[in-house]
Amino acid sequence: MKARKKVLKLMVMAAVVACFLAIRAAGSSSAQKLTLRDNLGRAVEVPSRAGRILSLQPEITRIIVALGAGDRLVGLDYFLRRDDHLFKIIYPEQARLPVVSKPDDSVNKEAIAALSPDVIFASPSELLVPDSIQRALSIPVVALSSQGSFGRLLEEIDFVGRVTGLEARAKELVDYFLENMTAVVRTTSSVPSKERPKVYLAFWSSLVRTPVSYEPVNAAGGDNVAAGLLPSFTGSPGTVVTIEQILKWDPDIILVHGNFLPRERQVTVQQVLADKRLSSVKAVRKGQVFYTFGYWYWWDPAQVAVETLYLAKIFHPERFNAIDLEAAGNIIFEKFYGQAGLFSKLCEVLAFHDWIKKKQ
Amino acid sequence: MTGSRRNNKKRFLHVFLLVLPLLLFVISLGIGSYQVSPRDLVRTFFSTISPSSYPDIPPVYRDVLFRIRLPRLLLAMAVGAALSVAGASLQALFKNPLVNEYILGISSGSAFGAALSLVFLGRSFPPQAAAFLFAILAVLAVLLVAGRGESTSLISLLLTGVIVSAFFSALLSLVEFFASPYVLQALFFWLMGSLSLAGWKDLAISLPLVGVGLAILLLYRWRMNVLSMSDEEAKALGVNVRRGKILVIFMATLVTASSTAVVGIIGWVGLIVPHLVRLMMGADNRLVIPLSAATGASFLLVADGITRVVSPLEIPIGIFTSIIGIPLFIVLLKKAKRVWL
Repeated sequence: MKARKKVLKLMVMAAVVACFLAIRAAGSSSAQKLTLRDNLGRAVEVPSRAGRILSLQPEITRIIVALGAGDRLVGLDYFLRRDDHLFKIIYPEQARLPVVSKPDDSVNKEAIAALSPDVIFASPSELLVPDSIQRALSIPVVALSSQGSFGRLLEEIDFVGRVTGLEARAKELVDYFLENMTAVVRTTSSVPSKERPKVYLAFWSSLVRTPVSYEPVNAAGGDNVAAGLLPSFTGSPGTVVTIEQILKWDPDIILVHGNFLPRERQVTVQQVLADKRLSSVKAVRKGQVFYTFGYWYWWDPAQVAVETLYLAKIFHPERFNAIDLEAAGNIIFEKFYGQAGLFSKLCEVLAFHDWIKKKQ
Repeated sequence: MTGSRRNNKKRFLHVFLLVLPLLLFVISLGIGSYQVSPRDLVRTFFSTISPSSYPDIPPVYRDVLFRIRLPRLLLAMAVGAALSVAGASLQALFKNPLVNEYILGISSGSAFGAALSLVFLGRSFPPQAAAFLFAILAVLAVLLVAGRGESTSLISLLLTGVIVSAFFSALLSLVEFFASPYVLQALFFWLMGSLSLAGWKDLAISLPLVGVGLAILLLYRWRMNVLSMSDEEAKALGVNVRRGKILVIFMATLVTASSTAVVGIIGWVGLIVPHLVRLMMGADNRLVIPLSAATGASFLLVADGITRVVSPLEIPIGIFTSIIGIPLFIVLLKKAKRVWL
């Protein structure tokens, strides 16, 4: 039984890698141009080494910075300038870039034309934006997002690596990410199924909104109780459940979306612990309610790698006790963004220090 | 059908509509994602009186019954009654069947208040309090703009209501523009209207206000027949029209705002329920107002029951109030071939 589980885990990891390699092989390239298929199924011809890049998709903008091509960014999406505390830490130079989009998904095409990017990245969830910009400006627009999948995240890193001509760095980051994940999964795959905690995630500023798929939980050796439910929001893995359903699941651990600045958190760990309706839930009774980072316009590759480690420490402290999370986080962030102490800075901004120390 | 048989039928319907919410309430106590048998529900209920006699009752049963279902169902009944009575009263006052409980800017005012709280004020000023405050402010703005004199016409009140609604909708869009996408999701969730997070605290906030407003509107139902005549006729019958109008508007605002503040915006209840009652019972407000309260409570209990039965997901209740209410309304409309007011 144990051996079968292990084989199954390794097969899942192999499938992620195979999927990534297959997608990598799907794009064709010529000397100057690459033709790639984006997440909306559009075949887009992009330059093989774009010098001027505009990303309207925060996840990709972070990947561009991780690849070391931050200086090729010519503009920014509003979210990164206004709401993203993480991006300001990993790329303080963002302050020099003009913002070309608005919260209603609209973009300032004239401003984009003035920036004359070679390629534009957009989110596939904003269905009309890619074609609208491409038609108006004749600049290739690629709609790409991981949508919460590790496989797709790796695919994105590879994709952006090819567009920027930084394939070697992209491969280095992909390998590093896989190496980190594999190290965690190697340990968690040996955990007997009855020792895997049942985990409920209170995400997106609500106690009852939860993702039906959250890969860091599985990789860290837990089971998402909402896995398998239908998502109720198009283009998102989120759904809304009843409080009774949470009682019925009786999760061992509740994770609260913590990727907000403390003053912006609508749901807090303290609120969940004090909620009398949840008093019979095992997680509340035993005080097993924690913040986790959660989606932040999907993933930041460094943050989600640290988050997986952090969750593994919560779920299986006896197996991951030796890990100094803050030190490990700083190493991972440095690998991606080339600066020391970035994870510590993020912890300060999100006020995570206290509870991270408690876990160590 | 003879007159006496018709009267008997009406009397039966009258009693049935009044008893229905109680029946539905008892049935709804047994509905939910967490399966508790009717026998265990009864035992759980008695276990609070004599805990030692029922040592085998798991604590989770008490949580399900007393901390989740009871406050949720009581809130559903209170909100259903409040929105329906507000709609019926305003329809009578404005002599207009298209009027609903949100006509004087309550929904857009409260939506703006909730947005302001969620986007800018964080947890320091809860969305419920902000929603209530701005709903009241919106109606006060309508009254102020429409004028305070004897000559204030109902048409100008209605028009001003539309304008003030549009103004607060624009402000809401402005706040949404500045919201981070994640806070925006919380706001949309609130705007869709839901009883999913209902607890005793919500009930404690809204019930006293809803109770006072409903009691006054129910006591005033005799005068609403007079207010639904022309102002001249009402005056001739000795009714202080201006005072009557203001009282009805304030009480309808109070019950709607205190409901919306805790459950968000649940549409159609205040429009459909009073019409259903009129189609069944006639246009006499002495009957329409109390029966709207009872039918509104039943209506929301049924809609909420469906949201809790169809799946473990929490589908916003406003969707079901429309899905159930509109076909029911069409059937009755076809059957009655006329609308009373």
